[in-house]
Amino acid sequence: MSRWKRPSVTLVVCALLTLVAVFAFMGMLAVFVAQSAPVWRSEGWSFFTQKQWFYRQQLFGIAPMLYGTVVVAAVALLVATPAGIGTAVFASEFLPRRARLAVKVAIELLAGIPSVVYGLLGIVLLRDWIYRALQPFDPLSGDTLLTAGLLVGVMLLPTLMTLSDDALRSVPASQRLAARGLGLTATETALRVTLPQAWPGLLGALLLAGGRALGEMIAVFLVVGRQDNQWPESLLSLRPMAEAGQTLSSKLGGPEINIAYGDPLHWAAMVALGLVLLVLVATLTLAGTLIRRRKPHAP
Amino acid sequence: MRRRLTDIAFRTATGLCACVACGLLVVIVWAICQRGWPALSWRFFTEQIRLVGADGGIFYNVLGTGILVLTALAVSAPLATAIALVQAVYLRGRPLGAMLGLFLQVLNGVPSLLFGLIGMIVFVQALGWGKSWLIGGLVLGFMILPTVCVALVERIAALPSRYVEAAAGLGLRRSQIIRSVILPQTKGGLITGSLLGLARAAGETAPIMFTATVFAGATVPRGVSESPVLSLPYHIFILSQDSFDPAVVTKVWGAALTLLALVCSLSLIALPARLKNHEEANNV
Repeated sequence: MSRWKRPSVTLVVCALLTLVAVFAFMGMLAVFVAQSAPVWRSEGWSFFTQKQWFYRQQLFGIAPMLYGTVVVAAVALLVATPAGIGTAVFASEFLPRRARLAVKVAIELLAGIPSVVYGLLGIVLLRDWIYRALQPFDPLSGDTLLTAGLLVGVMLLPTLMTLSDDALRSVPASQRLAARGLGLTATETALRVTLPQAWPGLLGALLLAGGRALGEMIAVFLVVGRQDNQWPESLLSLRPMAEAGQTLSSKLGGPEINIAYGDPLHWAAMVALGLVLLVLVATLTLAGTLIRRRKPHAP
Repeated sequence: MRRRLTDIAFRTATGLCACVACGLLVVIVWAICQRGWPALSWRFFTEQIRLVGADGGIFYNVLGTGILVLTALAVSAPLATAIALVQAVYLRGRPLGAMLGLFLQVLNGVPSLLFGLIGMIVFVQALGWGKSWLIGGLVLGFMILPTVCVALVERIAALPSRYVEAAAGLGLRRSQIIRSVILPQTKGGLITGSLLGLARAAGETAPIMFTATVFAGATVPRGVSESPVLSLPYHIFILSQDSFDPAVVTKVWGAALTLLALVCSLSLIALPARLKNHEEANNV
């Protein structure tokens, strides 16, 4: 260490640029907190529990949006988890190397499709299918929480598959060989040896995918219907899934943000929506990242 | 016998999942190609938008997306190189380095919408720039920072230690080792990461819709403030919302096919290196 006493130009430049990036992020957080302050002072906790959002009456309650966000993310995860983890298990446990790579290429391409293209597919195709499928429940249109959830579910598939595949591949091959050597079938090896060891990685993958589902805006915006104040009569009933709703992100993406700028309280409420979204997503991402770091035991 | 049946059943079930996933890709790409292909023509790429999207082409949209993406590259490449060097060389194996890694992971998770919101609050409103291509580039560049950075860090970590040891044995200082060994040996990581990041940046709508792009009425930006550009994703986003005119619909699918081709070709170039890295990282 003693040879590097005087910091080199490279070190100074690198350190400066790193600090710029870190402080830009901190500044971003600070701006969110500072600009949302008025609404916390005026609404307090009722910002979360209040079921009505009428900005002309200065009523700011995000409970229905939280509900919509959670429903969309839950439907998405419910669709994507079996398919994503199933694909990962099949690719990593049963397929020979080359076929596995082919599946991974397909999944990478699926991951590359922009969300606005998913949104276009949703608005043109999925919306009509859902409308027809939901006919028994007499929906007003094909713009429902269910539509948004299904669309986001498709978008999560590549994320879940790639992360789960990483988790499964990080289990040493020697363990699989040992299990097969003891006479276990490939299925038994996967279920009893690989999956139990890979579960932190799989759980991490679920959390990260959940974070993505909460934050996805464009595709949700196009098919969710953006109906404010849709609070269900019963939290457990499935009926509201066939109706339009609003999520935190679709609210933020809408034109209301331009109206809000003139009114400090309304603006604060909109920024607070962003802050809530940021805290939710950051928590899930942080938890997922930390859990994924727990590597399986070496042989 | 029962064990064999379970084995077959499990294989079939997971195999079906894989078929669904790959089938989705085929269906989606087919749906877009089939609808977008008729719109593609020489005129479509060389003319500007006319009749609110029902006629004309997407020349300035492609150009605008190109400007945004290149600005994002110019923002993210130096920042990512610096952060990667700090994390993987200067702070290697120290708690602060690990924290920097965690910071990047969280940054990677931040919804792109929020980047757009912050760009709007800081640049459009507080600094009074109005909508500008530069804000879009800054926001997108910051958004793809983790992608570029992680690719570079992985490559630096995979660099054989004998390279660094040999350079140190020749009496090079750390900054000299970085400039003459580490950076030249790992520039592939920077390129791969940048391509992936650009693929992501090109397709994003949320970060630029409040900060950098408009639907019509912009051509080549001539300054910084109040100089928005057109862009492909925003074009698709707007037209898909309120258009039942068949002429418009064809044009939207054409734009979607163009965007898809752009994004896929960027990530396909980066794909071999990326797959290789993943396979090596989890080598068995």
